[in-house]
Amino acid sequence: MKRKKIPMFLRFFALIPLLLLGGCNTEHFWLFNPKGPVAAANLYYMVVDVVIMSIVIVPTVIFTIWVISRYRASKKAHHDPKFSHSNGLEVLVWGIPIIIVGVLAFFSYEGTHAVNPWNPTVITKNPKYADTKPLEVDVVTTDWQWMFIYPKQHIAVANELVIPVHTPVHFRLTSTSVTNNFYIPQLVGQVYVMPGMRSKQSLVATHTGEYHGFSAALSGGGFSWMDFKTKAVSEADFNAWVEKVKQQGRRLAYPKFAAFAKPTVNLAGKVHYFSDVQPGLFAEVIKNVRDGKLQYATPMFLTENMDSKEFKQHSN
Amino acid sequence: MSSHDNAPVDPNTVELWDYEDHGHDFIGTRTLGFWLYMMSDAMIFAALFAAHGVYVRNFAGSFTSQEVVHPMNAIWPTVFILSSVMTYGLGMVALKKGNKSGVVNALILSFLLGVGFLLMEWREFSELAAMGAIPQMSGFLSDFWTIVIAHAAHVLFGLIWMAVMIVQVAVNGFDQNNVYRLLNLKIFWHFQAVIWVSIFTFVYLFGAI
Amino acid sequence: MLVDLQGPWNPIFGRLGLLLEVHYNNPIIFFAFMMVVIGGTAALSWVTFTGRWGWLWREWLTTVDHKKLGIMYILVGLVMMLRGFVDALMMRTQQAMAVGPDSPGVLGAAHGYLPPYHFDQVFTAHGMIMILLAATPILVGFMNLIMPIQIGARDMAYPYLNALGLWLTVAAASLVMIALFVGDFSHAGWVGLTPLTELPYSPGVGVDYYLWSIQIGSIGTTIGAVNLIATIIKMRAPGMTWGRLPIFTWTTLASNIIALTSFPVLGVALALLTLDRYIGTHFFTADLGGNLMMYTNLFWIWGHPEVYFVVIPAFGFLSEIIPTFSEKPLFGYVTMVLASMAIAGVSWTVWLHHFFTMGASPGVNSYFSIATMLVGIPTGVKVFNWAFTMWRGKLRFPTPMLWAIGSLFLLITGGMTGMMLAVPAINYLVHNSVFVIAHFHNMFLLIVYAAFGATVYWWPKVFGFKLDEYWGKVFFWLFTAGTLFVFVPMYTLGFMGMTRRLDYIPHTSWEPLLLLEVIGTGFYLLSILAFVIQLGVSIYNREKNRVVASDAWGTSRSVEWMTHTPPPFYNFAVTPVIHARDEWAWRREHGLTNLMPEKFLDIHMPKNTAVPLIISFFTLVCGFALVWRIWWLAAATFAAIIIAMIIRSFDKDTDYIIPAAEVERMEKEIVARAEGRIPAGEPAPVGGGAGGAYASKRTPTQRRDND
Ligand code: HEA
Ligand code: HEA
Ligand code: CUA
Ligand SMILES: [Cu+2]
Repeated sequence: MKRKKIPMFLRFFALIPLLLLGGCNTEHFWLFNPKGPVAAANLYYMVVDVVIMSIVIVPTVIFTIWVISRYRASKKAHHDPKFSHSNGLEVLVWGIPIIIVGVLAFFSYEGTHAVNPWNPTVITKNPKYADTKPLEVDVVTTDWQWMFIYPKQHIAVANELVIPVHTPVHFRLTSTSVTNNFYIPQLVGQVYVMPGMRSKQSLVATHTGEYHGFSAALSGGGFSWMDFKTKAVSEADFNAWVEKVKQQGRRLAYPKFAAFAKPTVNLAGKVHYFSDVQPGLFAEVIKNVRDGKLQYATPMFLTENMDSKEFKQHSN
Repeated sequence: MSSHDNAPVDPNTVELWDYEDHGHDFIGTRTLGFWLYMMSDAMIFAALFAAHGVYVRNFAGSFTSQEVVHPMNAIWPTVFILSSVMTYGLGMVALKKGNKSGVVNALILSFLLGVGFLLMEWREFSELAAMGAIPQMSGFLSDFWTIVIAHAAHVLFGLIWMAVMIVQVAVNGFDQNNVYRLLNLKIFWHFQAVIWVSIFTFVYLFGAI
Repeated sequence: MLVDLQGPWNPIFGRLGLLLEVHYNNPIIFFAFMMVVIGGTAALSWVTFTGRWGWLWREWLTTVDHKKLGIMYILVGLVMMLRGFVDALMMRTQQAMAVGPDSPGVLGAAHGYLPPYHFDQVFTAHGMIMILLAATPILVGFMNLIMPIQIGARDMAYPYLNALGLWLTVAAASLVMIALFVGDFSHAGWVGLTPLTELPYSPGVGVDYYLWSIQIGSIGTTIGAVNLIATIIKMRAPGMTWGRLPIFTWTTLASNIIALTSFPVLGVALALLTLDRYIGTHFFTADLGGNLMMYTNLFWIWGHPEVYFVVIPAFGFLSEIIPTFSEKPLFGYVTMVLASMAIAGVSWTVWLHHFFTMGASPGVNSYFSIATMLVGIPTGVKVFNWAFTMWRGKLRFPTPMLWAIGSLFLLITGGMTGMMLAVPAINYLVHNSVFVIAHFHNMFLLIVYAAFGATVYWWPKVFGFKLDEYWGKVFFWLFTAGTLFVFVPMYTLGFMGMTRRLDYIPHTSWEPLLLLEVIGTGFYLLSILAFVIQLGVSIYNREKNRVVASDAWGTSRSVEWMTHTPPPFYNFAVTPVIHARDEWAWRREHGLTNLMPEKFLDIHMPKNTAVPLIISFFTLVCGFALVWRIWWLAAATFAAIIIAMIIRSFDKDTDYIIPAAEVERMEKEIVARAEGRIPAGEPAPVGGGAGGAYASKRTPTQRRDND
């Protein structure tokens, strides 16, 4: 009997991680703190989904635990060694999951349209945003940086995104090298950024503040540093910021962009501003990538077990 | 189902062990396994045809499919591979009769027809290469070369097998092993003809439109 | 024709000149190398000094006995799982060390101790090894080991192909292990993300190792699938109707139908990528008409069925273990079979859920979402049926049952999170996050739990003694502590927005949870120790724990418990006739437990052969040559493979007959030993039992030398 003790003790030990969770600061739970209608819709569907599933999962767990404790051999409970079939139960075990999945399917269908990156109905069908002129931003990822081009404003920012609050922002996205994934957890879910192709995304920020944005798809050596701050600011602040960037006077035409696209690890988290951006830059990037004219091979040493000296040489 | 599957048996008279030793049908087992293998081979071509559907118009400014794909080029190979299947079928008739030289002769004929098929493909593709339509030019050309050569590789493999069988039958006659191998090769050879007809239809005919 | 390469190449050594450029000062690689050298030397010297080379060659390396092949499959899987765990250990410690811009870097890394590409190789190798070279071999091993006995067969339909399947798996595993020391491994995730795996972004040999090792391994798995399906269809004992097929055999069938049809698609995906890398075609490039999502599609058309390929046999384990320790038949046999087939069928229609965020139209995404959720129905049926199997049972909780119940709960949680991922509106938030990682580790651990349960459950059948219960329970609880400590925080980090494959952690708020996960891996480490102790103690006490009854647990139900323990190499002296769904339970009920037939018949058995081993060796060399682009060597070894196959086709001497009298003598000896009339002497060789005394190559009258 002494031998059984260790398992019991471990059983309680196993609960410790759960306790620690309770103590965690909820503000770090980005997924539970949406700051815009798209992310909020995502969260809403998550809650709905979990609640509906719990209708069947929770009783299942309780029933299983009850069976395990009730029918242990030592309890001498009723033993029915022949019981292996029951039409009523069969109907139940197939019927309940079918109903649950049916309900989930409905919400899944609805939710997919609500947050559809090409046309999120939470924004496009929302009268609140019907009259607001959307902001357009073209996003280009390189190895391993972000370029945000504001075609109407003729400005561009690398590794930082600034947007006005309460304004729909429409993104067009493409990549010069490999596939990345555009993600700002508190504002909008993920969408792939693929070379030679164009994807879309939309978001609205409802609170001013600074949110984390990053690439969520492995893209090679500099991937872990592919972060960008997303600053949601008031309309006035946004306009002021645009003006300020325009003063910088660094022109961004295709050749300059092509140089920018060389493999660079953004170790220092540097931000670059450009004014006077060549119109149609986004389309030209896509075209050149498709024609094989914009492609940088990753240097061999960056793919081996490089040490920090070499790594830093290729960083900004 | 359950009443049938736990049939009531009198435990006192029941047969517990199989003293008849029914054994297992050797050739049937071998051909079944080969059918299963063919299933996976079919999946290879299914995937390649799916890919063809994707790349069929990805010319990337290089050669278009009308410039590259000529159904007329594929007609003679079709005739050859179908005749090869037919002569192989004649060999199978000879097998039923236990006619050794008939089988060997039919296999030799099928083999030669198969070689002819490969030579014609070789010629077609050297012409393509000469005009610069190589697989590196575009997604479409990559796909075209790959699907046709994947089939040709199967044919080549079948030919090696056929050559081995010619020797096998000549040396060992119709033992169990050779019989199932001949039957399996028949399945394989027919299947390659079927695949070729699909390539002819989907790649050559549709590609020329 | 061939592509331009970065770095040197010459016709004789191919790209091996690259090695001169790689930094060999890496202590981690050096340490790993030393471990392998020490382990290998120890094993080889043991074999040499105990004079076991002949034994190794006769009994294992050239065997075609499905039981021995099964054991070797499982052994390979366990060793590779250990390797995969070391990779996991490195990932967990790296992520815990590399938090925030101020975290120090050692061994040449900017943060932590692994530079990005090295870290990327670690998780790529971990994922690929765990799925294809750990989980798959362990499961295929059990199918080999148990399924033929369960259907009353003497061997598999194609014993020779069976050996080939095993040795090709070993070749694939060896190629991955070679990559650790000679060159590097892919850094682009176990899914081989395109175009990251294209030559410009992966100029080294890593991706080539990945491509060729998977290609070789998956040929092995496909061969195995053909064999297992044909065996189930053709080799069943008389009376073994489809309605009486043991449930594990059903799951083997369902799972191998998946393997047979899906692995070729993987083969095509990898082959096209190989063409891109070797001759410069444009299948998955971004330019010149390539379509990089095509790879993703093809990969997941295989990849998703693959995860059910590994989970369905695990369901089979549960369906065998739970009834045994509930002393009841499985509830809802017919629905269980239907559910397995339904899962296998639906698994083909859901692949796009792995890239919902590609931006397909909402119609497409909702279709795949709903198709995915449909899998929850048959899986739910299984969960309920197991619960009803235990209901009104007489439950005992030896270690196999503990593993089974742990597995059940992992399935429920992992399934619930899977159902969350299946909803695009949720998926957009958690795709590529550690939430996904936690989801599928839940699922894979379900398999690992079930497999550990199966190991303890069938161990006495195979080796003739039970495993130590005390250390088994310590192993279980330590492993469970590890699972909770690693994966509960991981789910939490998912909600905090942490994405996967990060070698550097920019947000310090994640640090406490990452540290908890390190504690979890500590528990895992201790659990491995407990496992080794369990094995050691059990082997040391094997006489005390010896099992002579054919049914080690007293309440087992299916046919494998109807032959001697351990089973002789011919499985059954005379093929049994099957009368009921749970034949052994039926015989027990009717008092028909006498295993001695009244008369004996000649037995027809396959002979040992070294050809599979030789072919696989050439395949390994060919794979290595292709990785390093040593064309002459690749061509030579490829030709050698073909020639070996042709030569084998002329070998007519592939079978032999054991005369009935000899069978009778061996059977009587087994019974006499079991009853203690003959001193036990040296323990019977694994999987061979007393009858295993006669290795198949030797004449039946020759006694086994004392090895
Ligand atoms: C079957 C599949 C499987 C299994 C079992 C595991 C098991 C584990 N995995 Fe794995 N993992 C994957 C498949 C698997 N993994 C895949 C596919 C990926 C994705 C890769 C990618 O991104 O491309 C991944 C990625 C992955 C990550 C990467 C996360 C990221 O991307 O950020 C991490 C990090 O912690 C991790 C951890 C672990 C841990 C701690 C375990 C533990 O559960 C390990 C427990 C195991 C043991 C403790 C070993 C026990 C061994 C024995 C008992 C054998 C003893 C043998 C002898 C003595 C001979 N895994
Ligand atoms: C053995 C492995 C295994 C298994 C069994 C599963 C099972 C399931 N998986 Fe999982 N999955 C993986 C391995 C597995 N998965 C891997 C390896 C990846 C990622 C690979 C990578 O990217 O590297 C992945 C990723 C993955 C994704 C993509 C995530 C992403 O990258 O964005 C999705 C999305 O739909 C998903 C869904 C599901 C679902 C719905 C099931 C279902 O089968 C679950 C069904 C089970 C239940 C639902 C529980 C029991 C049921 C009941 C108690 C009944 C009642 C319940 C209801 C009716 C709701 N999985
Ligand atoms: Cu999917 Cu581009
Ligand atoms: Cu999936």
